[in-house]
Amino acid sequence: MRRFFIIGIFVLLAMAAIFIWSKSYYAEKEEAYVELPTETEKHLIPSEMGVFERASFAIDYATMDKNFTGGRSLDTYYKNRAFHGAPPSIPHPVDDELNMGDKSCLKCHQNGGFVVKFNAYTPVVPHPEKVNCRQCHVTENTTSLFKETSGGVFPKPSIGNTAFVGSPPIIPHQIQLRENCLACHAGPAAPKEIRVTHPERSNCRQCHVVNNKEMMDIGVFTRK
Amino acid sequence: MIQKNIDRRSFIKKMAAAAAMTAAAAMFPGIIFASEQEDGIPKGGNLDWKKGPCRFCGVGCGILVGVENGKAVAVKGDPNSSVNKGLLCVKGYHQTMCIQAKDRLTHALVKKNGSYVKTPIHEALDIVAKKMKQTIEKNGKDSVAMYTSGQSTIPEGYIASKLMKGAIGTNNLDCNARLCMASAVTGFLTSFGVDEPMGCYEDIDHADYFITWGNNMAEMHPVLFSRMLEQKNNRGAKIIDFTTRTTRSSMASNKSILFEPQTDLAVANAICYEIINNGWVNKSFVEKHCNFNKGKTKIGYGVEDRFNFTDEPQKIDFEAYKTFLKDYTPEKVAKYSKVSVKDIKYLAAIYGNPNKKVVSYWCMGMNQHTRGTWMNNLVYNIHLLTGKISMPGNGPFSLTGQPSACGTAREVGTFTHRLPHGEVTEEKDRRMAAKIWKVPYANIPSKPTYHATEMFRAVDRGDIKFIWIQATNPLVTLPKTSRYRPAMEKDSCFVVVSDVFPTPTSDVADVILPASWHIEKGGLYGNSERRTQYWKKMVEGPGDTMPDAWMFIEVAKRMGYGKLFPYSKENHVEEIYNEYRQFHVGAKHEMATIEVLEKQSGIIWPYVKGKSTQWRFNAKYDPACDNGQDFHFYGKPDGKAVIWQRPYEPAAEYPNQEYPFWLNTGRVIEHWHSGSMTRRIPVLHKAMPHSYVELHPEDAKKYGIRNGEKVKVISRRGSCTLPASINERGLPTKGQVFVPFFDENMMINDVTLDAFCPISKQPDYKKCAVKIEKV
Amino acid sequence: MPIKSYILHFEKGQKEILLKALHQLENCEVIPAQNHDVVVLVTDTATEETDNNLYNQLLEMKGLKHLSLVSGFDAK
Repeated sequence: MRRFFIIGIFVLLAMAAIFIWSKSYYAEKEEAYVELPTETEKHLIPSEMGVFERASFAIDYATMDKNFTGGRSLDTYYKNRAFHGAPPSIPHPVDDELNMGDKSCLKCHQNGGFVVKFNAYTPVVPHPEKVNCRQCHVTENTTSLFKETSGGVFPKPSIGNTAFVGSPPIIPHQIQLRENCLACHAGPAAPKEIRVTHPERSNCRQCHVVNNKEMMDIGVFTRK
Repeated sequence: MIQKNIDRRSFIKKMAAAAAMTAAAAMFPGIIFASEQEDGIPKGGNLDWKKGPCRFCGVGCGILVGVENGKAVAVKGDPNSSVNKGLLCVKGYHQTMCIQAKDRLTHALVKKNGSYVKTPIHEALDIVAKKMKQTIEKNGKDSVAMYTSGQSTIPEGYIASKLMKGAIGTNNLDCNARLCMASAVTGFLTSFGVDEPMGCYEDIDHADYFITWGNNMAEMHPVLFSRMLEQKNNRGAKIIDFTTRTTRSSMASNKSILFEPQTDLAVANAICYEIINNGWVNKSFVEKHCNFNKGKTKIGYGVEDRFNFTDEPQKIDFEAYKTFLKDYTPEKVAKYSKVSVKDIKYLAAIYGNPNKKVVSYWCMGMNQHTRGTWMNNLVYNIHLLTGKISMPGNGPFSLTGQPSACGTAREVGTFTHRLPHGEVTEEKDRRMAAKIWKVPYANIPSKPTYHATEMFRAVDRGDIKFIWIQATNPLVTLPKTSRYRPAMEKDSCFVVVSDVFPTPTSDVADVILPASWHIEKGGLYGNSERRTQYWKKMVEGPGDTMPDAWMFIEVAKRMGYGKLFPYSKENHVEEIYNEYRQFHVGAKHEMATIEVLEKQSGIIWPYVKGKSTQWRFNAKYDPACDNGQDFHFYGKPDGKAVIWQRPYEPAAEYPNQEYPFWLNTGRVIEHWHSGSMTRRIPVLHKAMPHSYVELHPEDAKKYGIRNGEKVKVISRRGSCTLPASINERGLPTKGQVFVPFFDENMMINDVTLDAFCPISKQPDYKKCAVKIEKV
Repeated sequence: MPIKSYILHFEKGQKEILLKALHQLENCEVIPAQNHDVVVLVTDTATEETDNNLYNQLLEMKGLKHLSLVSGFDAK
């Protein structure tokens, strides 16, 4: 009799467990059903792509130590670029020459971070959606030249492009493939001269406009 | 050694400051310190920071202008302003640069034998007064008109109204705000009985969802959009962009839903259908606080001269409204709106979810609409049905485009049918105005005359023989300028233009008066959230420049109305404002005094007993609610808001085989209004030197057009040639082209149609049919 | 030669008045927060005595709700 009683209790417990579990299971399902439909396809403007890409990290950038002086400077930034806007060469050995890039580059360069081996913060790529990295970025395997060249020194955009004291600087460079401002202007890998003081404001082009749409000085407005 | 010591000390000080700031950041996440924005601004020196509102859009950011040796040399955001909290947009930061433009109007110019002669300002004002008086004597009061602006300050608008309606006695006063938010006004009046939003910008800090209706806030209201983005990043608030064109806002929002132009009417009704069908109606709110009305249908488009329309509201019941909505099931609407059933239900579910706070934002997309009033009503319907209104984080919010569209145009009432309090058709409102203005009651005519579009039609017909245009540029901004430019060039009308810079409008003037710019005079502006902002003169204007209000007063004196305008030149702004405040006494619209406004960065009215009313109609926040219930829509006699039955009706003009494209017009972040100021700011001009026509890449391919190639946009009214822009700032849908209107050298308004909303008389700049040709 | 930094909280609506008073103090660098009623203050005084005086002056300010020392250095 006692045995039946114990078995009875266990059966009851099991039933209750199943009941509670199934109820919560269905409740969960129902929730998921009531939940608003997921995102559908999005129309894209290529020149605006990625503008808000890293905004989700903006808060982290904002809490970063403002006086951080490690990392790159504008000088070292330009050291592995032929001219401004040119794809930088890869200044470190790579894992696998057979690889086109993709994850083996992005694992570090998508979000950055400190690499003990190089004692440096990883620069963040402004266009992580382009995965054939080695298409544009090549390694540097020698320091010598095939034949000497006379060219090679191009003017770099300067800092401090403000119209007024204290007004927001204009963007002195082209932004194609670099629409995502925070990639280069925020975080520990950003060159310290161009690190933004207010990364939490993610709508950069609210205040900072490009001024070289026509690639040359277009002068001031005059009436026709 | 000393040098080193100082460096060490300053370093330690920096460390100490950083430690304190970090500690503060731990206590208050997201805290911002002023010094971050002041990096690079020389401390001390002779910089004197003076407080004021921004000159440009209706957001009404607080600015601080750095003045050194009598010259404006810097601008920064006012950290004390709750609107922008220290941040501006690119236009705001560079605004004062325009006053140094070389072609600034510094002296009066009078046209003599076809060319302009530099004239002392007092002689020019003599000519204006004489001409105005002669015209009235010869052709009657209604042959003179004044066209002012949502950029006029409160005193300027008030004096214009007093001069025209009180002293002269004609209702021939309208303003460019008619082109900008008239539908919002009629929307508010029909639904709630009083104008202007019930909520305020603080809603942004509370809302879970922001739904933008045809509104590219990232470019047009960037400071507010940044506040929304901040909430998105910090709290996970969501931005839903409901639009006809993919824009920068679409890129930043969580979801972008495209619809076919004009079908917003149907989609809004479909949302209401879903809300009712799913039982998401807030029944007690609707029963206690709402009535149901219907108005006339098939109401026309106003394309013909002397078009007239008066709506006839009829009460209906909830059942009748429900039956009406049966035509707007998501399935039916999806067919012509090109919005999927899923997306319509998604929108409805957001509004219908009782646990989510929703703010709807809109501006020109809904207002510049041949059914603009209806569209405004429909969005109010959604909020009223769900009871999501007049609460922190819940509410419909109509944004404005001009700095004082609310403060001057709407509150002072520089429209033909309005008075500083109420309407010309109401006897008690006329009596009140007559009493405060100290004019005979019979002086103020009871019949409205010309609204903006009709005013320029009247110029064309020769009915108006004298027009004074102040602080606006209608020959760039009116629809169908292809008709109104030749009209203004006619000899039958004497044209006076007061402006800061030469514009296509001043080109047709007989007298050009040099106006003071914003910071060269004092004044008051009122922004979209009912915030009144006062500023004092900061720098001296060049040459003979004069504040617009003072020009009116000088002319009024010369016409013999001196007794009615007893203001002093130094303090006229304050004196006029004190007189004007009498119109708004009472808890429904009490305004702060000059003394209070001087100290603070703007104050939201009603300002009752030293406290701003942030959410009107809600008894918890609004002392004017006196029906003993939670909500009181006191604009209506029975205290109830109106849910309007408004159907979908087609646009005035549709693309066809001959004219296969929709033409949409609008703005870009760099330029404001007709560009007469922003284009004279080098930074902005270089960023956006000219207008363009945006095409969908597939349409461009079909016509063999590549980026930058010249394209002629042709409508039944005129044409305009512009460079093509493909995949740049925006992406119109297939079969649509978009053109910004700021460029006076590429006048897209020669192409647009002057069809308007019959109720608000606001033209539709967003929809007409065009064809394109590669040049 | 002590250098200290403080966080100041103040009563509602007293920000303007307090900031004005703070700006009048010597040996102080005032860094107000834009979006909260908080001010960071860095003091840089020549002697312990002036530092104490300054501290007492701070305590006596009207509208001050709370004052907390965050860090202190003695730079010689």
